[in-house]
Amino acid sequence: MQTLTSDFDYEAALAACARGEHFALRMLYEREGRWLLGVAKRIVRDHELAQDVLHDAFLQVWKHATTFQPSLGSARGWIYTIVRHQALSVLRKSGREERVDSEELTTLSDRLQATENRDDDRGLDTQALERCLGRLEASRRACVVHAFVDGLTHEQIAEQLETPLGTVKSWIKRSLTSLKECMA
Amino acid sequence: MIDLDDAAERDAAAGEYVLGTLDADDRLTFEQALKADTDLQARVYAWQDQLLGLSALAPPAPTTAGLWRRIQASVAALPPAAAAATASASAPAMPQARPRVPAQPAREAAPPWWQRLGLWQGLSGLAVAASLALSVLLVQRLQAPAPAGERYLAVLQSPDQQKTGWVVEIEAGRQVRLVPVSEMAAVAEDRSLQFWTKPQGAAGPTSLGLVRAGQTVVLPVSALPGVGAQQLFEITLEPREGSPIGKPTGPILFVGRTVRL
Repeated sequence: MQTLTSDFDYEAALAACARGEHFALRMLYEREGRWLLGVAKRIVRDHELAQDVLHDAFLQVWKHATTFQPSLGSARGWIYTIVRHQALSVLRKSGREERVDSEELTTLSDRLQATENRDDDRGLDTQALERCLGRLEASRRACVVHAFVDGLTHEQIAEQLETPLGTVKSWIKRSLTSLKECMA
Repeated sequence: MIDLDDAAERDAAAGEYVLGTLDADDRLTFEQALKADTDLQARVYAWQDQLLGLSALAPPAPTTAGLWRRIQASVAALPPAAAAATASASAPAMPQARPRVPAQPAREAAPPWWQRLGLWQGLSGLAVAASLALSVLLVQRLQAPAPAGERYLAVLQSPDQQKTGWVVEIEAGRQVRLVPVSEMAAVAEDRSLQFWTKPQGAAGPTSLGLVRAGQTVVLPVSALPGVGAQQLFEITLEPREGSPIGKPTGPILFVGRTVRL
């Protein structure tokens, strides 16, 4: 079923933000707000703090909309990066880098499939990524997933996986390379 | 330390920059380079899109009405900058020049002419015997000289025409205003009011977003699929996040068609 969400023109909305049209920012908030808040909350692990992140991130989206380059990639990817980076910045500054418990760590990275199969209407294409992540060895996949979703640093991942730091670093680097090749 | 002169390392660094695993020093180095390095920018955009699907792993979190109000207030408090023209091609960093922001909440701008007349409040206080045509006639007579550009007005009434809830005012080429003209009962916590329009002859309605009872909404005309006489505007009751299917699913609370002024 084609839905309003998947038809939503993020690039047009961002272009309208760049022209100073407040309504466009609101549309973006209405479309993506709860998902973006979810992404931020997952990283900072606090609902209040996540709302601060989203507030600051939306201001950045508004201020920097003129710098978005539609020829290089999607507006949605651009917006998610702003939100994630804002969340990471808050997380690193606040020092609230609580541990993800190990059980969660081992199972989490296998959940993408389940999430993807959920009947949601976001029009977010996770198929290629899922297929390519599936090709990675489980602990390497976990590195990428936890860096992205939980905002863990190399050091934290190393600690959680009880793997030497250097190994984790090279796993992430190589995993990204494999993902890219696989998705190309 | 990352070596951005090495092709393979550049791309890996762009991936890790998006991922968020560069350490503080590398991140600073990378961000500095990113400002002017278009190849690096292209790599970052590519990684953003490649990894975007991972965000599906984070469950959504409910937003509160207060959060949007905070964002709105902060955006409104930003100094309106001069001309947009020189948007640089580089990554976010520099102070932004931006175009004139359209008058946002109507309470900050001068109230529209018909609101100043207090006409609609008076009307809805009466038994609303006044027909739409008569109302418009009255308004026209009292109206200040019309500025350039076509103007349209729609009075949104409850389907039984017992209550006038909102007025839609369009200035062609400029903006659309949705203005509440009567008190309206609050909507249940898990419901939202959604604003729609359907130009004469259009296949279906287009959502103009969620609105709140008592709230004035100002949109650019470009948000509309078209502007004309007999254009339908309506407000329906929908789930909190708005209609999930892109067309009205709930009852029509207020509806009306435009007339040209």
